[in-house]
Amino acid sequence: MAGKAGATPTTYAPSPTTQKTKSLVFKNDDVDWVRPDKRGFQQCRPAFFRTGAVNAASGSAYAEFGNTKVIVSVFGPRESKKAMMYSDVGRLNCNVSYTTFATPIRGQGSDHKEFSSMLHKSLEGAIILETFPKTTVDVFALILESGGSDLPVVISCASVALADAGIMMYDLVASVSVSCIGKNLIIDPILEEESCQDGSLMITCMPSRYEVTQLTVTGEWSAPKISEGVQLCLDACSKLAKIMRSCLKESASSLEE
Amino acid sequence: MVGLSLGEKHFIQGGIAQDLRCDGRKRLTYRPIYVETGVIPQANGSARVRMGATDVIASVKAELGKPNPFQPDKGKVSIFVDCSPTAAPTFEGRGGEELSTELSAALHRCLLGGKSGAGAGIDLSSLVVVEGKICWDLYIDGLVVSSDGNLLDALGAAIKAALSNTGIPRVSVAASAPGDDEPEVDISDEEFLQFDTSGVPVIVTLTKVGKHYIVDATTEEESQMSSAVSISINRQGHICGLTKRGGAGVDPSIILDMISVAKHVSEQLLNQLDSEIAAAEAVNEES
Repeated sequence: MAGKAGATPTTYAPSPTTQKTKSLVFKNDDVDWVRPDKRGFQQCRPAFFRTGAVNAASGSAYAEFGNTKVIVSVFGPRESKKAMMYSDVGRLNCNVSYTTFATPIRGQGSDHKEFSSMLHKSLEGAIILETFPKTTVDVFALILESGGSDLPVVISCASVALADAGIMMYDLVASVSVSCIGKNLIIDPILEEESCQDGSLMITCMPSRYEVTQLTVTGEWSAPKISEGVQLCLDACSKLAKIMRSCLKESASSLEE
Repeated sequence: MVGLSLGEKHFIQGGIAQDLRCDGRKRLTYRPIYVETGVIPQANGSARVRMGATDVIASVKAELGKPNPFQPDKGKVSIFVDCSPTAAPTFEGRGGEELSTELSAALHRCLLGGKSGAGAGIDLSSLVVVEGKICWDLYIDGLVVSSDGNLLDALGAAIKAALSNTGIPRVSVAASAPGDDEPEVDISDEEFLQFDTSGVPVIVTLTKVGKHYIVDATTEEESQMSSAVSISINRQGHICGLTKRGGAGVDPSIILDMISVAKHVSEQLLNQLDSEIAAAEAVNEES
């Protein structure tokens, strides 16, 4: 699958219009610094999506961004558990887990509670829960290989899987993160960059509606820097959504044939 | 959850739109904050913070441990929050567990800064005793005793107060051969090192109800929120962390506006909190 991603380089790096700030960002001592994978500071990894990765699921998607590989399957809508109280809107249940071999050091492969709740919070605003009352939609994400920016990839992939399952949504949810290293903003960081970052900012948004469903910031940021990072991410998100949409169109047209 | 009638909901929303909330506050006014320090004698530092009916306790315990091999020059800090079912019946079982993880993750993000330690409220390198061998492990535990909204801000304030109350015993390392994996240490019972807490940020949560946002929302007000943004801001006015709650989407320009409002509010909150902590410490020393 990696070969296919390389053959059609679908990057979603923000357009040059936002790069006017670039000269400002680069005015510091570590100009000569090069990213480990030779990308530009504001250049994203090629994104690859494919739907229908799991047969048993009502919808599923596989995503590959560089070394980050995730698989998300969506089950349902199916009847909520008996113990649950009656609810006239649908429920969303999210679960994110790592495989034991996903990380450089062999992990426990257990559920990632923080990511699960983040995934839930980023998606619930986009799904029209009123369309499936009394039922639950399960979203299970598995990170096959962790290569940095894991959560943004999981979120984007999950929204493609939800669309594949035919769950009604207001818009696709795209997610991008930037890392702050020194004075530079680095988009779509890989694992090495994430381990030495000073701060990070992650946005999940619905690009067509221009709404942010989730935003997290760590590390020390000044207000102008945050707005710069937000703009950078939003621009990349809208481009990423186009790639996601074209993947969905492709799978839909291949079904018709 | 809070059971509110339609009339009550309209009353809350209408009040917020007119800048006069149910308890007479304006949109950007906090409830009075009461700080008490040194409430748990067994801990190295502790504090209790009350904001209206919200009541939280934070404790700091320090233990000697081994630093992470990837970061030999840094100590370790872990934050746990416990939402006791005594505070609200919804905290029992999974509901409380979910809220606890969410609060712990948000506090972690707001107080500990990036992976490299930049922007951290707690200087991790000050926790090292012998580089690569011995460091202090700080365990920060938050307990929600009673909940009436705005838990994150209260917990943030309690942790700040607990840290300024914390004394870490002075450790003297016995001279030993280099390469010795476990140098002998002597923990002093009398000399304590105080923490520099000037860098610890405060957390300001802005809750969006209708078109407006309010600070320090009560449980009733929180039930009417569409989304909330928690921003931690330090003395310098820098943002140290940000988390969003609630699934509803928000326009990016509104978030940026919220950040500037939070910055303004944080200055007053920092000053108020600092004077409250100083007063609490003074009472402590007298007794």
